[in-house]
Amino acid sequence: MISIDLQSRVPIYEQLYKKITELIIKGVLAENDQIPSVRALAKELGVNPNTVAKAYQELERNNIIYSLSGRGSFVSKINDGTIRNYILSDFDDSVNGALKAGITREELKRRIDEVKEND
Amino acid sequence: MIEIKNLEKAIDGTKILDGIDLEIKKGSVFGLLGSNGAGKSTLLRHLCGVYKQDSGSVLIDGAEVYDNADAKRKIFFVNDETVQFTSFTLSELKEYYKVYYPEFSEELFEKLRKSVNLPLKKKLGTFSKGMKRQAIVIVGLSCQTEYLLLDEAFDGLDPAMRMIVKNMLFDSILDRQLTVVISSHNLREISEICDTAGMMHDGKIVFCREIDGVDNVHKLQVAFKEEYTKDDFVNAGLDVLSFKKNKSVYEIIIDGEINEITKKINTFSPIVFDSISLTLEEIFLYEMESKGYYAQDILDND
Repeated sequence: MISIDLQSRVPIYEQLYKKITELIIKGVLAENDQIPSVRALAKELGVNPNTVAKAYQELERNNIIYSLSGRGSFVSKINDGTIRNYILSDFDDSVNGALKAGITREELKRRIDEVKEND
Repeated sequence: MIEIKNLEKAIDGTKILDGIDLEIKKGSVFGLLGSNGAGKSTLLRHLCGVYKQDSGSVLIDGAEVYDNADAKRKIFFVNDETVQFTSFTLSELKEYYKVYYPEFSEELFEKLRKSVNLPLKKKLGTFSKGMKRQAIVIVGLSCQTEYLLLDEAFDGLDPAMRMIVKNMLFDSILDRQLTVVISSHNLREISEICDTAGMMHDGKIVFCREIDGVDNVHKLQVAFKEEYTKDDFVNAGLDVLSFKKNKSVYEIIIDGEINEITKKINTFSPIVFDSISLTLEEIFLYEMESKGYYAQDILDND
């Protein structure tokens, strides 16, 4: 369920963070669902457990997951901040892609306004 | 923790280690990279107390390791030579090491051995290269030392075996905070299991960095109205690893967090500004280049 790209430029720890957040936002993982243990995930992906643990710590720090000692890690109640951050970072990626493709900032700004008008 | 300070060693008049400074944190997986002959194995042999240094210090948890039985009991070294102990059976190999390591766990040994189906009573000489490697890794992990040194451990292992060995390491890292130092001439082979990596060349640690953290080296493609030199960017507080100019476009490699870099570059009013983060391999290449080495000679990309 959680997959990463070892050839990617994005660090493994960041990929894990994003992937798990994405699964929660898209509803694949629901509140209080258990997520794989650090050990299980490290083995499944073949990556250093310290790296997986670091991603989990960061997810926990941002209240995206919570852990119960001896029982594992679980999905927290999804909060607006998480969704907002996720959507905005997705937006940033799209904007960057568009800028690289040569679309100007002005064009993009106009586009945002147009989207609003069509609503 | 492993602390190496200004370690020097010459063998038969040839300087092999030329002032090594290195710290390896407890519980980390450290990748020691370098081409053949860079001095990796010699460094590892100092870490496990087999070699006596000419000068400098090699400390394990604060104690000098050479000629120190207590310190040596904390370390297990998996040599890259697979020819040793060929007349031993796995069971004899186990008994041989058990004497030296008081924390040896029969239970763990049996568990690991069963997971890879290695025979107890056959001579190691009849094992394949991969099986020999597994045999020694199993014995090493069963010794339950705090530190495990692996010299080219994944060399010659097929992907399935590599996965099995990796998983064994992961269990020990989680169960008892095992510290692993693993040498390799191939970055790709060990990049996903290390949290820190150091590059050796000509008896020196050329550089060392955390490799699982946030992305922190960026390649920028920028263009400005004015002409700038590398020094202009260095003076602006940017850590420039590489600087190239092709007509009006600059290709600059900068070490640092992208928001900070963007802020500083914006003070130059760029007309074109594009950035991508680098792959680990690219980071190594540029780091080597910035230190004046030709990385292609050092990184083995087979």
